[in-house]
Amino acid sequence: MKNLPRAAHPPEVRVYTPDQQIGWGPAAWRAMAGELWRARELTWRLFLRDFNARYRQSVLGVAWAVVLPVATVATFVFLNRSGVLNIGDTGVPYPAYALLSLAVWQVFASGIGLCSNAIVAGGGMVVKINFPKETLVLAHLGQVLFDTAVRLATVALVFVLFRVAPRWTAVFLPLVLVPMVLLTLGLGLALAWFNALVRDVGHVLTPVTTFLLFMTPVLYPNTNKGLLAVVTPYNPLAVLVSAGRDVVITGHLTDPGSFAAVAALSVVVFVISWRVFHLVEPRLAERL
Amino acid sequence: MRSIEAALRAERLGKKFSRSLKHSVRYALRDIARNALGLPAPSDTLRPEEFWAVDGVSFEVRRGEVLGLIGANGSGKTTTLKLLNGILMPDRGRIEVLGRVGALIEVGAGFHPMLSGRENIYVNGAILGMSKREVDHQFDSIVAFAEIGDFLDTPVRFYSSGMYVRLGFAVAVHANPDVLLVDEVLAVGDARFYGKSQNRIRQLLEEGAAVVLVSHSMWLIQTFCTRVLLMERGRVKHEGDPTSCIYEYNKLAEVEDWVAEYSDAAQIPVVFRDVRVEDAAGAPAGELRPDSFVRVRALCRTTAREFRGRLLLRLQTMDGYPLYTSYSHEIRFREGEEREYVAEIPSIALTGGQYRLHFAICGPGVEREVLYSRDTPVDVAPYPDTPSTRVGLFHNRVEWHEGAPAPSESAAEPLEPGTHRC
Repeated sequence: MKNLPRAAHPPEVRVYTPDQQIGWGPAAWRAMAGELWRARELTWRLFLRDFNARYRQSVLGVAWAVVLPVATVATFVFLNRSGVLNIGDTGVPYPAYALLSLAVWQVFASGIGLCSNAIVAGGGMVVKINFPKETLVLAHLGQVLFDTAVRLATVALVFVLFRVAPRWTAVFLPLVLVPMVLLTLGLGLALAWFNALVRDVGHVLTPVTTFLLFMTPVLYPNTNKGLLAVVTPYNPLAVLVSAGRDVVITGHLTDPGSFAAVAALSVVVFVISWRVFHLVEPRLAERL
Repeated sequence: MRSIEAALRAERLGKKFSRSLKHSVRYALRDIARNALGLPAPSDTLRPEEFWAVDGVSFEVRRGEVLGLIGANGSGKTTTLKLLNGILMPDRGRIEVLGRVGALIEVGAGFHPMLSGRENIYVNGAILGMSKREVDHQFDSIVAFAEIGDFLDTPVRFYSSGMYVRLGFAVAVHANPDVLLVDEVLAVGDARFYGKSQNRIRQLLEEGAAVVLVSHSMWLIQTFCTRVLLMERGRVKHEGDPTSCIYEYNKLAEVEDWVAEYSDAAQIPVVFRDVRVEDAAGAPAGELRPDSFVRVRALCRTTAREFRGRLLLRLQTMDGYPLYTSYSHEIRFREGEEREYVAEIPSIALTGGQYRLHFAICGPGVEREVLYSRDTPVDVAPYPDTPSTRVGLFHNRVEWHEGAPAPSESAAEPLEPGTHRC
């Protein structure tokens, strides 16, 4: 039997006491950052595990990522052509516009859905093994990012089909998506542990994201009329979706001030949520 | 030196659980809110519906030592193991662990059924804290140990339960843990793998690992452990060498004279009126010695016109493992008669511990026709002059001699031939 030399590095001492690292002090942040760094390999492995397993018995495979958005957009094109809906001027052909918006939107919608289920789905591991639980959430987020890449590739294809050239600023799209990812991860972390305690989360989520989809200018352009025009500037999701669309289609942000504010908000949400997740983490195993 | 350091130390460990789910969720949310505000959760006191699952448990395990945790179901053994592994957070006390912890609390946790054995080795390795390089390095050894050769690229959901456990165990022991926590997993798998896993754990011990072993197999505890904690309702009831702890453990399980329950008494053609276990002097047997003479007297009575059958005497361990059995010649008596039958055992031939004497009356088919039985506890005290860590169930007299010295070239003084007893 081959063995790696033991104690190649001095053994690490672990101490467990009640109420370790409570509050918001610098030691807590250091511990969290250290844990995240050490967990990178596990996160990657869990991502690969779920990724490989997901497509193993599937015919469509990665194409599933675009089935829902394409079907949704097709429905809206159909409704628009039938004169039931009157979607205003979108600047570029509607399918390209809507698919791009949905790709950005789904970072949030499918991200929340997957992340909130991460702890419950990994329950067997949580109660039997000691490992950083955020890896479960991060592995699911990895899936979301992969799906987003597939969706954006589809959008690029649609742009080519409609002979629309994106602005050069489209290269900043990944950067503009960062606040969206942080906001999603922040809410995802919070929902993941809350779902483990109170299982209603899973049931509430689908109607809520559907409601938000219709309340946010994703499948239709921003408007300056009626109640929606009053609400939209305060809808962080609207700001983030609009920013993603802007860098590709118009080449400039409609409202840089709002975007900066929402980006800052996303960072705050993520940081608070990450910390709370760590406070909850040691209590999860006994509640599952 | 490293070897004399404690690899694992637990001080006044306490963990409480809630009996009701509703309270559990409410307490969890309240504790989380308090922690978020920088306040400690009220972990030291019991709230309604809470109880201590582990209460005031302290111990130390050094490198190369095996600590056994024994006790009835629900005595807090697995909870203690989960605390040591950091899966659960203690509500009281303190735990210090030196080095990498390998937990065999449930092997194969984290396996994905859709993935192949090969893929799962990497996933499980990462869960146990191994880097990809480390898994690469140990890969062949893991596969060889698990003996899953041809099935390496088969999804693990098609594995037999034995293969599944073997693979999980193989990965866990190849993570080269400094502290290994084992919860009853050795009992799974066939006899061959059982032996192999034990050898591997012994090897880890020699390399300086510390082991905590939870088991209901007293034999395993006896052969493996350097020290044992007997737990009862979350507390340490007894602490010491394996023999004394197993002795105490069996005492906990001790039953009153146990009569099999028969649904309809009228259907039983024959009963014991009385079963007595006596020593050589005819007094009720108290604590016996490993070579004590034992006499069993049973008073029988039948409701049949004429009863024909045999008597059965069996010594068993407390958990029912048969040690030896003896059948009487055929007995025959009539209704209304009360007959006494006597069984004499020249030497009980058991090492110190608790046993059950199973006495039964059977029809002519003997084991297939047990009509009535009674179990009596038998208490054998260990010989005070033998090492208390003696392994085995049977006591037998062995004479030790020193043979004639073999012819040798060395001019060393031959040892004085003689006899000594151990």
